[in-house]
Amino acid sequence: MKERGGTAVVTTDTDPDTRDAEEAEEVEEVGAAADEGSTQTPEPARRWPRVVAAVLVVALLATGGALFAEGRALRDTPATSNRALTDSEATTRVAGDVSNALGKVFSYSPQATGVTKESAKQLLAGKALQQYAALFGQVEKQAADQKLTLTTHVVRAGVTRLTDDSAHLLVFLDQVYERQGKPATTAAAQLSVTAQLRDGHWTVVGITAR
Amino acid sequence: MARVRMTRNPLMAAAVVLAVAAAGAGAWGGVSWYDASHDDSAAYAQARDEALAAGEQAVQNMNTLDHRKLEKGLDSWEDSTTGDLHQQLVDGRTAFIKQIQEAKTVSTAQILSGAVTELDDRAGKAGVMVALRVTVTAPKGKPAVKESRMLGKLTRTSEGWKLSALGQAPVGNTAG
Repeated sequence: MKERGGTAVVTTDTDPDTRDAEEAEEVEEVGAAADEGSTQTPEPARRWPRVVAAVLVVALLATGGALFAEGRALRDTPATSNRALTDSEATTRVAGDVSNALGKVFSYSPQATGVTKESAKQLLAGKALQQYAALFGQVEKQAADQKLTLTTHVVRAGVTRLTDDSAHLLVFLDQVYERQGKPATTAAAQLSVTAQLRDGHWTVVGITAR
Repeated sequence: MARVRMTRNPLMAAAVVLAVAAAGAGAWGGVSWYDASHDDSAAYAQARDEALAAGEQAVQNMNTLDHRKLEKGLDSWEDSTTGDLHQQLVDGRTAFIKQIQEAKTVSTAQILSGAVTELDDRAGKAGVMVALRVTVTAPKGKPAVKESRMLGKLTRTSEGWKLSALGQAPVGNTAG
């Protein structure tokens, strides 16, 4: 009964019921082993499955961990963290909001100066307000003096980088200048724009002329 | 009897729990890896970034030409393009060499910003928009610096994305 010592250590031998049952179990197991003709060396026969099980457990854990890590590496790359185009709905939305904002704040007519100012307050924030003032201030001054009407159309807007609440875009614009009694002239402009999602709407927070 | 078994061998119970947990971890890791490696959006994002990088480089190449290194420059033009655009460049090469040799100009380009505007990963087609600054130096006079905006179509080839069409983004015909 050498084998018994191994299991008996685990249980406390204070409960006679448990002990009896244990002994009964033990006898049964030995009997079963005897049937298989391995009474001589029961120890290796019973240890092997445990070792194999332990190795399997470790192997499974390691494999699971490794595969998970590899999956993460595949999924969480710099490419996937940028949702431009991969999330087509969000991409269309930010491009639309930003195009709309630029069209409004860079359009100006002497009759409706208040509209442009109001749009700028609503659609721009942060650094973009100063950048806008620098880009547009001169035009605004001329416009008042020369009765100049400026209309800005977005020709094309592309999203370079998009996350949940921030975006970088490249926008090609046409700016049509009209003076009273003169033919209209069109100028091309390229802007890099940074936008942030605020209260469910994309707000322009940075404008750089390209 | 079940209760008795439990008290008899907590080690075995722990081993079973551990084995189940290990099997779970193995399966979970496998599933998460399989998902990730078959994730279309990851491949799509990768294609988008490759198309942009290739598109910007190709646009830069197409705006760079040194009359002293014409052959090298035109080779790079042809390497950056495919399809009709490539054919046009090949067909017009001789005439163009003559033209640039007479003008003796050196053009360099700096990419300011670019974006992919459309991408069909399966068809291997993409559209890019690129803002750039082109400097043209003629034998006489100051270098002319010009801001430029271009639209390109890219096609995926066995050697990566190449330009199949390139032009200035039109100005003035978008009113309305």
